[in-house]
Amino acid sequence: MAETVLSSGEKIFILHGIDADFRNDGRRRCEYRSMEIETKLMPQTHGSARLHIGNTDILVGIKVELDVPHADKPNEGKLEFFVDCSATATPAFEGKGGDDLATEISNVLTAAYQTRNAFDLKTLCILPHKKCWKIYVDVLILQCGGNLFDAVGIAVKAALNSTEIPKITAATLDGGEPDIELSDDSYDCIQLDTSNYPIIITLCKIGDNYIVDPTLEEEMCSTSSIVMSMLPNGKISSVVKLGYGSIQFNTFTKMLQMGEIIGLRLNKTLMDVLKEENQFGRQRRIFGFLK
Amino acid sequence: MEEYPPIIVRLAINRIDLNLIKNENVQPRIYTPGEEISSQPDFLRGHGTYVDDENTLRASVAGVLEKVNKLISIRPLKARYQGEIGDVIVGRITEVQQKRWKVDTNSKLDSVLLLSSVNLPGGELRRRSAEDEQTMRRYLQEGDLICAEVQSTFVDGSLSLHTRVLKYGKLSQGIMLKVSPALIKRKKTHFHNLESGASLILGNNGYIWIGANKQDSDRSEGGFTQDLSRIPQVNREVCARLRNCILILAQCNIQLTDTSVTYAYEESMKYKINELLEPEIMIDVSLLTHQRLIQQ
Amino acid sequence: MPVDQRRINGPEVSVPYHIYSDFDEKSDKVKHDFSKRSDKRTNSEMRKIFLKIGIVSQAKGSAYIEMGNTKVVCSVFDPRELSNKNGYCTQGEIYCEFKFAPFSCQKRKIHQQNAEEKQYSLILQRTLEPAVCLHEFPNFQVDVYVMVLDNAGSSLAAAIMAASTALANAGVPMFGLVTASTIGIYGNHYLMDPTDTEEAICNTQPDKEDDFNHGIITLASLPQHNQISEVFLIGSIDTNTIKQATEMLTAANKDICPVLQQCLVKTIMKLHNEKK
Repeated sequence: MAETVLSSGEKIFILHGIDADFRNDGRRRCEYRSMEIETKLMPQTHGSARLHIGNTDILVGIKVELDVPHADKPNEGKLEFFVDCSATATPAFEGKGGDDLATEISNVLTAAYQTRNAFDLKTLCILPHKKCWKIYVDVLILQCGGNLFDAVGIAVKAALNSTEIPKITAATLDGGEPDIELSDDSYDCIQLDTSNYPIIITLCKIGDNYIVDPTLEEEMCSTSSIVMSMLPNGKISSVVKLGYGSIQFNTFTKMLQMGEIIGLRLNKTLMDVLKEENQFGRQRRIFGFLK
Repeated sequence: MEEYPPIIVRLAINRIDLNLIKNENVQPRIYTPGEEISSQPDFLRGHGTYVDDENTLRASVAGVLEKVNKLISIRPLKARYQGEIGDVIVGRITEVQQKRWKVDTNSKLDSVLLLSSVNLPGGELRRRSAEDEQTMRRYLQEGDLICAEVQSTFVDGSLSLHTRVLKYGKLSQGIMLKVSPALIKRKKTHFHNLESGASLILGNNGYIWIGANKQDSDRSEGGFTQDLSRIPQVNREVCARLRNCILILAQCNIQLTDTSVTYAYEESMKYKINELLEPEIMIDVSLLTHQRLIQQ
Repeated sequence: MPVDQRRINGPEVSVPYHIYSDFDEKSDKVKHDFSKRSDKRTNSEMRKIFLKIGIVSQAKGSAYIEMGNTKVVCSVFDPRELSNKNGYCTQGEIYCEFKFAPFSCQKRKIHQQNAEEKQYSLILQRTLEPAVCLHEFPNFQVDVYVMVLDNAGSSLAAAIMAASTALANAGVPMFGLVTASTIGIYGNHYLMDPTDTEEAICNTQPDKEDDFNHGIITLASLPQHNQISEVFLIGSIDTNTIKQATEMLTAANKDICPVLQQCLVKTIMKLHNEKK
């Protein structure tokens, strides 16, 4: 990650602030910064979203392509995540610098969407053994200002929510060869069932306390954090600890509980906003990167 | 059960432009790189310009024209900090070397702070021994923040700093912010003890320091003995409010002086500190501050 | 993914024949009988652990662990100085490489690390970091290589324990030993130390049951300090079940700790007796 070293004075100040439930920007421990989201902003993609929280800026593009199912899962489609920590974000990502972080993020995403409870790959199957949809989720990190995992999680969910897969009118086997007909109307699309897609919550342990949505400076003070993915139905689909520190058992369970509550709320807020945006319809102005 | 604050997610449709404040009367002529400035031969080439094969003077940076007699130069609108002797700067140690520290000061090159230009504990007239050289990391290590004055500039543009006045030295508890150096005017004093109880250093290089305790401004021992005790909540709130106010001003391109910061601070009092992160409130505070600055 | 040109990889499209032969049996898996496990263990019972250190003579420290059919070997090499890429580091670093042997799983693995192995390498690294006194060897890096010879489930937990014993064997200063265990959750069944087939079952969700807990949790801890050094959970589980499962795992980790200690002590004692 971008290397900013803090002096001991700054660290102590942040640490004591978190202890007093009053962070440097006036937020409480369990408070998120306000974020801004826009979906369907890239015309070349099947679904896209851009998320801005603090200085963190994430762009997600989704491409849907045809593929052959895995031999051992003949009636399932494919879903793959690629994360690119581009050097435009910080020079530290130059060359292979961002690779570790990128694998980490895509691993978390893969784990979060792995259960069928969250994402049913069977819905992506067109003809068992022959044809299925493959969804490529490409995450681009344009700027990083802390809390990458949560931001990526929200952006991915929003992008998948906006994804439109072309409708297939006929799929038959013609002499062993699959034959697929797409709908002529390009607006005739299938939406993914996003009702139980996970979002990712990071709980950053600083001192004896834990916070959500850390800024870069706060992340510098933390030795360990828990990254968990929360399904809207109250289940947890993945948990992983990051950082070089260890956590006490009691703290761990408390962190999970806090993550659960915040995760459910964040999810609800996100879905409400996406619904609101959807109401503007196709004529909505795209803001993108201007203004 | 703990009460959790709401999570706010906005839509891009409702995005707000923060650059509302405009000076309608003044419309400066801004040059862009490669643009022709003059084809007359009677000029002296200054910074930010070059002469092409046809003897035409062209701009090499985006900025405004400055003319002193025959010398034509372009002052860039956005640039890294260009140091001048006597500037007060806030910087962060990046490397410990032989007899010197390298300091990040937002200028083109890292600045240097020589071991001989700091006050070591034990009085001003203390001699520097070989032992001091070996324990330099004990005084200042990577990541530490200092406040210093520019002593001299080298040919290549890098700066040499010193902290041999009591008000300079290592900084203790507080918040460091980075803004564009153009927002900070050179003033008589850059150290401000605000009425609210915090100390503020507006570094010429665009680095700003909000110190948490006032007593800290006495750096008689070079600030090497640090007070790491808990800061009272009141002071902490002041620091956080100042931080948010300064960021609002910086985002709306308002010059940072002790008056503008104080005005913004006063105007922000009707809001909670964490509300100051919301765009609507940022605009309100910046407009009110701007009005008060004009009335002055 | 660039393919290593210097090795001859098998045809890329080949698949193990199992997937066709037991395609019908797959439906049986769902009806798996949880009151009886294939190796006659009770649900909360772990497999026997066999542990030996110093089996790789070239390495500074090494360990071999066997849990049922899961076999893992780990070696630790001398610390070496970090290349001066990011300036001086006040803390040491641990570099871990986790690899399944090509023949260790049902499907053949290629020689290059795949995404799963890379992820396990990172997990292993984060597991060991809290346990090692990193400040005692600034600017140095310790390499830990783990090879799974045979994967019969819970190989990550086995790898963690092998690595921590190997580090101790190498004389790397540590705050404490790391132990790890895995639990598989399927509905209201908790399967301690699952085998690979049990892992596969816990990873799939039965049809038409939304409110169903399933998944796998691997928990590594420092039992001497009551600290959790790494959690890795995958599946779909509610918080209370996680809490209960982690409690079981913490208790199990505490129980395993003496095995590691004894193994280390006995090896030393043996050397000591031989000298006499």
